[in-house]
Amino acid sequence: MVASQPIIVIDNLTKAFKDAMEPAVKGVSFSINKNEVFGLLGPNGAGKTTIISILCGLFPPSGGTVNIDGKNLTSDLGEIKQIVGVVPQDIALYPTLTAKENLEFYGAMYGLKGMELKDKINIWLEKLGLIKAADKKIETFSGGMKRRVNLIASILHDPKILFLDEPTVGVDVQSRNVIIEHLKELNQQGMTIVYTSHHLDEAQDFCTQIAIIDYGTILTQGSPQQLIANTPGSSDLEDVFLNLTKRKLRD
Amino acid sequence: MIFKLWAAIKKETLLLIRDKVGLSILFIMPMILIFVMTLIQDSAFKTINEKGIPVVLVNDDKDTLGIYIQKGLKKSSLCHVSDSINGVPATAELVKQSVAEGKFLVGVVIPKGATEAIRKNVTQLVNETMALDSVPTDSKTDSVNISIFIDPVAKKSFVSSVTSNLHEFISEVKTQIMFQTFSEQIAEILPEGSKAPENTFSKSQIIHYNEVYASELIGEILPNAVQHNVPAWTIFAMFFIVIPLAGSLMKEKKEGSIFRLHTMPSSYLLLVNGKIIVYVVVCLIQFVLMLSVGLYILPLLGLPVLQLGNSVFAIFVLALATSFAATGYGVMVGTLASSEQQGAILGSLSILLLSALGGVWVPTYVMPEVMRHISTLSPLNWALEGFYKLFLRGSDTVGILWPAFKLILFFIFTMGVSSAINRIKRKI
Repeated sequence: MVASQPIIVIDNLTKAFKDAMEPAVKGVSFSINKNEVFGLLGPNGAGKTTIISILCGLFPPSGGTVNIDGKNLTSDLGEIKQIVGVVPQDIALYPTLTAKENLEFYGAMYGLKGMELKDKINIWLEKLGLIKAADKKIETFSGGMKRRVNLIASILHDPKILFLDEPTVGVDVQSRNVIIEHLKELNQQGMTIVYTSHHLDEAQDFCTQIAIIDYGTILTQGSPQQLIANTPGSSDLEDVFLNLTKRKLRD
Repeated sequence: MIFKLWAAIKKETLLLIRDKVGLSILFIMPMILIFVMTLIQDSAFKTINEKGIPVVLVNDDKDTLGIYIQKGLKKSSLCHVSDSINGVPATAELVKQSVAEGKFLVGVVIPKGATEAIRKNVTQLVNETMALDSVPTDSKTDSVNISIFIDPVAKKSFVSSVTSNLHEFISEVKTQIMFQTFSEQIAEILPEGSKAPENTFSKSQIIHYNEVYASELIGEILPNAVQHNVPAWTIFAMFFIVIPLAGSLMKEKKEGSIFRLHTMPSSYLLLVNGKIIVYVVVCLIQFVLMLSVGLYILPLLGLPVLQLGNSVFAIFVLALATSFAATGYGVMVGTLASSEQQGAILGSLSILLLSALGGVWVPTYVMPEVMRHISTLSPLNWALEGFYKLFLRGSDTVGILWPAFKLILFFIFTMGVSSAINRIKRKI
């Protein structure tokens, strides 16, 4: 495992949406090392999805710089898109197409074709227990099955970095385990994973590094063990989280 | 790049094929629309052309004028003349009542002594003209009052047709009597043995009308409901592709596919191009199907066969340009709208408006001058004018180049606007 070599470097990143009362992200700086599983945790509206969306080029930052794999996000976005995969929070699939048809389309959009594409689709469908449902329409799938296809669509092109925005939300324990196991496998093969979740136990088990964010700023960063050790009276990540973000309800 | 485009086309085709409601909107509804609208308009034409305008006539004159008008109206294909109402001989009072009740569109009452009054007036006029001493004779003249009762719901054009016929008959009778009286007067003053002019009135009929449709079409292609309605409603239906197309764009936004695609190394334009290609092909299929209704289905119901004019290639060029214009407009509406409902409302209302302005519902020549100018801004008007040129005026490819060019420019304009809106929306 190659350590301490940053693949994502974020410096003073800010994002202010039009008509918003205050910026969603306020001068955030952190770096993510190669082959890391980086968890970006925080309550609703903390700025997690905004940071992920900026990192995958969905909208430009209002300020600051982002370098991914040595490339500038603003000027080299096209090249960066080739080496990243994004698993969106919502199921971004065509409900009336089959799993295979969806994957063929998204694979083609990453430039894959022919037998290479077909083989990759079959391998991943097999791995994630979906091969029997390959020719069924997505609209007939359960939530867990959709989540698994949603993941495959983002990894067919073997990205160096995978962004996952709450990949296990609303799925049963079985599906969640399958997803996490395969993400661990991908990480072991060298893929850097940036991940947001509200499942703190899952994050504690899965992530090698965690940043807790609230109101657009990073509150703390470190390995799960470090964060627990550094927060008095905490026995797990949930204690750390509540200690830092308090118990006030968020919109 | 080509492979990505092919994948986008394949995906779009699959989505379309599996959307049964969308398919029915695209193919079945327009065919039903053409079928119904042409049938309705044709029966309206037949009411006037075959049966004629219902006219009730009271001829109290029983002389030349009355007989002439009666014969003239009965001979005219424009009118269906009755001289009785519910089996009872018509009277002035009954005529007024029956027209008011809507039983007849027009009622005509020729009063007793109408011919005699004309004769008297003409004789007086001739006498004055022929009087050598130029002493004016009795200047008092009898007037002739022919009453015309009009149903308030009757179209002005129908009434004008009947009244102009009546005016023509009256002036013809008057001229005939005048010629006759002149001939008699001249015969009186001619020396004995001289021959007075004979058949002077019929000899004076030297002007004849020859109605020819100003068309370059080879053969006898007369304007009819099919020739007018099939292209008009075809264009209307082609532009209605806006609704499923805008809906498809909105669905992709809602279902998150656009979100994912924006994170991929493929341009949004590529995805839109895939959509455009599929929907242009759909428009062309719609076009062929709707022309087929005019060519094969409407004739089965006794309607005229649609005549395609002189150039199939020109039809293809114009249909292709119309397809691009309709598809571009759909992409613009889909980009502009924020929800599927908004897209559907914006799309359908704007197409209704553009079609009304473009002359699909009402011909542009009956519009006020201001509206006629505005109508030239509607892309549906450009397409319609182009197809009328081909189907009615017998034009060729050169004749439709300008409307086709305008339609392609419109497509480029809508794509430019869509691209700008998309950029603005992403710069949040």
